[in-house]
Amino acid sequence: MKETEEKNIDDRIASIVLIFLSSTYLVGAFLIPMPVLKQQVGPDAFPKAIGFAMLALSLVYAFQQFRRGGKAEETEEEIEKRAAIIGAEEKIAKKADLKTMGFMLVAMLFYAFAFERLGYAISTFVVFMAGVLYLDRRHLARDAIIVVIASFVLYYIFTVFLRVQLPPGPLRLIGL
Amino acid sequence: MEFLSGFWGNVTLGFGIAGTPFNLLLCLIGVFLGTLIGVLPGIGPMTGVALLIPLTFGLPPNSAIILMAGIYYGAMYGGSTTSILVNTPGESSSVVTCLDGYQMAKKGRAGPALAAAAIGSFIAGTFATLMLMLLGPWVARIALRFGPPEFFALMVAALTIVTSLAGRSLVKALVSTLFGMAIATMGIDNQSGVPRYVFGNPELMDGLEFLTVAIGLFALCEVFVNLADLKGAVQDRLSIKGSLWLTKEDWKRFIPSCFRGTLSGFFVGGIAGAGAAVASFVSYGLEKKVSKLRDELGKGAIEGVAGPESANNAAAGGSLIHLLCLGIPGSGTTAIMLGALLMLGLQPGPLLFIQQPDFVWGLIASMYIGNVMLLVLNLPLVGMWVKLLDVPLYLLLLFITMFSFLGVYTMNNSVQDLYIMVLFGVIGYLMKRVDIPAAPVILGIVLGKLMEEKMRQSLVISDGSMTIFFTRPISLFLLLLAVAAITNPYWKQIGRAIRRMFGGAAA
Repeated sequence: MKETEEKNIDDRIASIVLIFLSSTYLVGAFLIPMPVLKQQVGPDAFPKAIGFAMLALSLVYAFQQFRRGGKAEETEEEIEKRAAIIGAEEKIAKKADLKTMGFMLVAMLFYAFAFERLGYAISTFVVFMAGVLYLDRRHLARDAIIVVIASFVLYYIFTVFLRVQLPPGPLRLIGL
Repeated sequence: MEFLSGFWGNVTLGFGIAGTPFNLLLCLIGVFLGTLIGVLPGIGPMTGVALLIPLTFGLPPNSAIILMAGIYYGAMYGGSTTSILVNTPGESSSVVTCLDGYQMAKKGRAGPALAAAAIGSFIAGTFATLMLMLLGPWVARIALRFGPPEFFALMVAALTIVTSLAGRSLVKALVSTLFGMAIATMGIDNQSGVPRYVFGNPELMDGLEFLTVAIGLFALCEVFVNLADLKGAVQDRLSIKGSLWLTKEDWKRFIPSCFRGTLSGFFVGGIAGAGAAVASFVSYGLEKKVSKLRDELGKGAIEGVAGPESANNAAAGGSLIHLLCLGIPGSGTTAIMLGALLMLGLQPGPLLFIQQPDFVWGLIASMYIGNVMLLVLNLPLVGMWVKLLDVPLYLLLLFITMFSFLGVYTMNNSVQDLYIMVLFGVIGYLMKRVDIPAAPVILGIVLGKLMEEKMRQSLVISDGSMTIFFTRPISLFLLLLAVAAITNPYWKQIGRAIRRMFGGAAA
C-alpha cells in the first residue's frame, strides 16, 4: 500500500512539472516574433496548438493523480493486463541507488566538460577508469587493459583508419 | 505482363546493388552488430540503431540504409535468443517468446526452441519482404495522389494509433508525443526564417538534433536504470543440450503456427501499422484459440515460440512498407531510421519509392540477403552469442556511455550537444520512473516538423480554412481513425453510459 502511495507522489510531482513546462512553452509560443512578410499561417500557429494541447493533457494528468484515492477507473490488475497485451515498456524498480547514479551523472558531466579540453583518448581513459574503480575493482588488471583499448587504441582506429575526427586534446602537443 | 517485367527489372536492379561486395559486407556487419545488440541485456533495437547511426555518416545513402536495416532485424532476432535461454527478453517484441521458449529450454529443448525461432523469423521475414515488393509500388502510387491535407491527416492518424498502443496510460503517451513535437519546433522556422525557442543560443538555431535526444533518452537512460539497481541484477541461464534440429513431430506442429504467425504479424504490422510487440501478442492469442495442443501453451509448446517469433518479424518487415512508401514510421525503431534517412538528405515517401528505385530495391534485396545471413550465421554460432552474456554489466554500461558520447560528438563536433544528451538521459530516467513512455517523443520529433509543414501548406491551399481537413474524403477518414484510436479505451464506458441512458438492461 505504501508503495502505491509513493508512486502517486512521483506522479503528482510529474504532473505539476508538466503543467509548468507546457505553460512556459505556451507563453514562449506567444513571444515568437512575426515575420516581416505576412503569411497565411504564421510560425507561431503550430507551437500554440501544441502548447494548448500539452497544457490540457497535463491538467488531465494532474486531475487523474490528485483525484485518485477515491475510486480508480481501472484496477492495477486491469492496467497490467492491458500493458501486457500491447507490450508496454517494463516498469522499473522503485529502488534507486542514488549514490551510484549521482556518481555516474557527475562522471558524464565531467566527460562532456573534458571531451574537447583533454581530448577523446585522455577523457575517456579518466572517466572509464573512474567508473571501473567505483563500480567494481575485482578485476583491475583485465579492466585496465580494456580501458586502454577503449580510449587510446580506439582513438587511433577512428582517426587513422576510419578518418573520423576526434578531439586530440594535449596529445596534439606531442605530435600524435 | 508489363507489371511483371517491371517487377523483375526492379528485383534485378536491387540485387545488383545489394550484391556488390562492399554492400554484402555491410549487410553482414549489420546483422552481426544487430544480433550482438539484441543479445546484450539492456540494449534493445531502438538504442542499438540510435547508437550505431553515426557509423553510417561516411557512407553513401544506399549502403547506410543497408547497414541500418541489417542492425534492425539482427536485433529483432538476437532478442529471442535471450528470451529462450535467460528468460530476459532483449526487447518488448520477444516478451511472449519467454513464456514457452524458456519452458522448452528448461526441459532441455533449448535447441529446437532456438531453431524454431530462427526458421520462423526467416520464413516470416522473407514473406514480409516479398509482400513489400508486391504491395510497395501500389501503395506508393496511391500515396502519390495525396495532397498536403491527406498527409497531415495520415500523420495525425499514425501518431495517435502508435501512441495509443505505447503505454499503460493514454494521457501519458500523448503528453510524450506532444513533448517530442514541441522539441521539433525549436530552431529557425524554415518557412519564415523566424527563430523559435532559441534562447539567443546560436547552436540552437538548427534545433535539437533528434539523435542527441534519442541517444540520451534510450542509451544513457538505460545506463541510469541499470545503475539504480546494479546489485539486484542476477541472471540465471540455461545451457543448450541435445540436438539443435527439429524432429518430425516438431515440424508438424511448427509449420501451421509459423504460417498463422506470419499472416497475422504481417497484417498487424503492414496494414494496421502497429509494431512488432503487438503482433507477437496477437499471434500468441491466436495460437491459444486455434492450436490443437493449446493446453500445452505456457508449458513449453513449440507453437508458443514459432507463432510469435514469426509474427514479430513479419510485422517488422511490414512496418517498412509504411516507412518506405508513406514516410510514416510505425514504431520507435523505424522512427529512428526515418530520422537517420532525413539526416542523409533523403525524404522517405512515395516520391522516393518511385524516383529512386535503386535505393528502395537495393534495400529490399539486402533484406533477403540479410535474412539468409542471419540464419546461416546464427544457428551454428548460438553458443558464442550466449557467451556474450558473461560481459560484466558495469563494463557494458561504461561502453554504452562511451559510444553515446562518441556518436553524438562526431555528428556536429559540438560539446553543447553532449550536455543536452546527458540532460535527456536524466529526463529519460525520470520519465521511466513515472511510467511515461519515451518512444512517442522520438515519433513526435521526427514527424513534428513534417506535420507542421503539411498543415501550413494545407491552410495556404484552403486560404486559412480548417475545413479542408474534413471535406476531403481520405483525410476525413484518416482523422476519424485517429479519433477512434484515442477514444478506444473509453468505448466500454461510453457504451455503458449509452445503455444506461436508454434504460436498457444493465448487463
